[in-house]
Amino acid sequence: MVNLLYTELLKLKRAKMLLVSLIGASAAPLMVFIGFLDLKVKKPDSAVHYEEVFYNTNLYVLLLIGTLLYGVITAYIFNREHEEDTLKNLLTIPVSRTGLIVSKLVLLFFWIMLLTIAAWALTLALGLIGQFEGLSAGVLLTSFKQFIIGGSLLFLLSTPTMFITFLFRNYVPTIIFTAAITMGNVALANREYKALNPWSAVQVIANYEPVPQYPLYYSYIAILLVAAAGFLATVIYFRRLDIQ
Amino acid sequence: METIIRTSGLTKIYGTQKAVDNLAMHVKQGQIYGFLGQNGAGKTTTIRMLLGLIKPTDGQIEIFGENLLARQKEILRRVGSIVEFSGFYMNLTASENLLVNARLMGVHKRRAIDEALEIVGLQHETKKRVGKYSLGMKQRLGIARAILHHPELLILDEPTNGLDPIGIKEIRKLIRSLAEERKITILISTHILSEIEQLADVIGIVHQGRLLEELEMEDLGKRNRKYVEFHVSNDNKAAMLLEQYFHTYDYEVQGEGIIRVYSHIGQQSGINKLFVESGIEVSGIAMSENKLEDYFVQLIGGGTIG
Repeated sequence: MVNLLYTELLKLKRAKMLLVSLIGASAAPLMVFIGFLDLKVKKPDSAVHYEEVFYNTNLYVLLLIGTLLYGVITAYIFNREHEEDTLKNLLTIPVSRTGLIVSKLVLLFFWIMLLTIAAWALTLALGLIGQFEGLSAGVLLTSFKQFIIGGSLLFLLSTPTMFITFLFRNYVPTIIFTAAITMGNVALANREYKALNPWSAVQVIANYEPVPQYPLYYSYIAILLVAAAGFLATVIYFRRLDIQ
Repeated sequence: METIIRTSGLTKIYGTQKAVDNLAMHVKQGQIYGFLGQNGAGKTTTIRMLLGLIKPTDGQIEIFGENLLARQKEILRRVGSIVEFSGFYMNLTASENLLVNARLMGVHKRRAIDEALEIVGLQHETKKRVGKYSLGMKQRLGIARAILHHPELLILDEPTNGLDPIGIKEIRKLIRSLAEERKITILISTHILSEIEQLADVIGIVHQGRLLEELEMEDLGKRNRKYVEFHVSNDNKAAMLLEQYFHTYDYEVQGEGIIRVYSHIGQQSGINKLFVESGIEVSGIAMSENKLEDYFVQLIGGGTIG
């Protein structure tokens, strides 16, 4: 597994996707920063608090940009071997098919964490520039925890995207799928069903905002079920797949 | 000689179509085995089954005397392969691409990558990204990758696909040297007859998923010996004259008035002169043409190869 992980990292050398994804991850902090700057311009007396800025940034990441961006990264990691026709080489080395999936998932986890931390750090840095108020160790720790929990749960939910990538071996269905999920997140953002939809349930858990109708464990179950189903479907499908 | 690859009843069915049908292949140690067939004959499907990329619908595959499905991991560690066009990570250099394989195969020798690149003549192109390589360079790099871990068996599926004549010649030379110097058993598939003719020790002819024949090139050579055919009025006398004046017994009387001379190619005018001066009427002289291709065409029941 160490060798598989090493090679997965090596494959990213000079890959522009890493930089592109970092630019993508900076969208949420920048959008929120611009929004609050605008507020400060319009209402100079109102204070902008770090807690609020972190919350809003994480909300954008979890419901909008993260779903799309992490979906594209998932497609990139898993579709690349098909696209560059390197899969047959790896499998004749031979590399275990399940081992290959797991190593790519580990890489995906670190990648998502990197983007999550980058978004958090940028939010902090922009806040310093904008002289936002209320910066404390407590705020930093809480927000960091919320970002990491959210990123980790979104990582778990990458397995259905991974399955779609394997199934269609193309970026387009994956992008359509993640776009549909994002739309679902927006549609359910203010409804109680957000606790049941795995992708919007991420925000419910990360920010600890349970809805009265559905206990929090419903959200956990929804996420774990979808994550497990996606993983199992991918492993079963890939293990049976003839490499043409 | 030990059999390195043995398949029996190997079959692959897609829907209602049999891509490979009851195929029994035998590749012996040290041989270059040419797997010859038209495009779509079932060569690539067979090779992918040999490499565990495709699961057979039916049949057995034994490599190094062991069942492939039961011991795939152990077997494939002793095999190097190229399946059609070699895929690479385009953002990486040749050395980095080989490093991926070296790490996953447990090749720890520091010089292994440089040695493999030297063998295929890419030692001066290590800094260039593979995305900037020509097709010929990529195919050579594919061979370097296949031999990186010193395999005992090389399985090459159409390794000269898309190459120009010089590239084909280079790859052919490389394959020959790997077989001779490293004593690697090689299975090479192609649809180009002339390519395999100059390389293989044994040829397996596949057509519509079925292995029609496996034959040694030596046997094929005998069937394909060049000759000059004379149509004469008296074949007995002609035979006697050949023995008496040209001291050869390397001829065959094919039928009444037809005699094929396998020796003294290029001296047909002298033979003709002798026959005529000895009172034999010669109604026709013909040189043998490339019967090898005819043989394959006849075997597959029409069409062409390559």
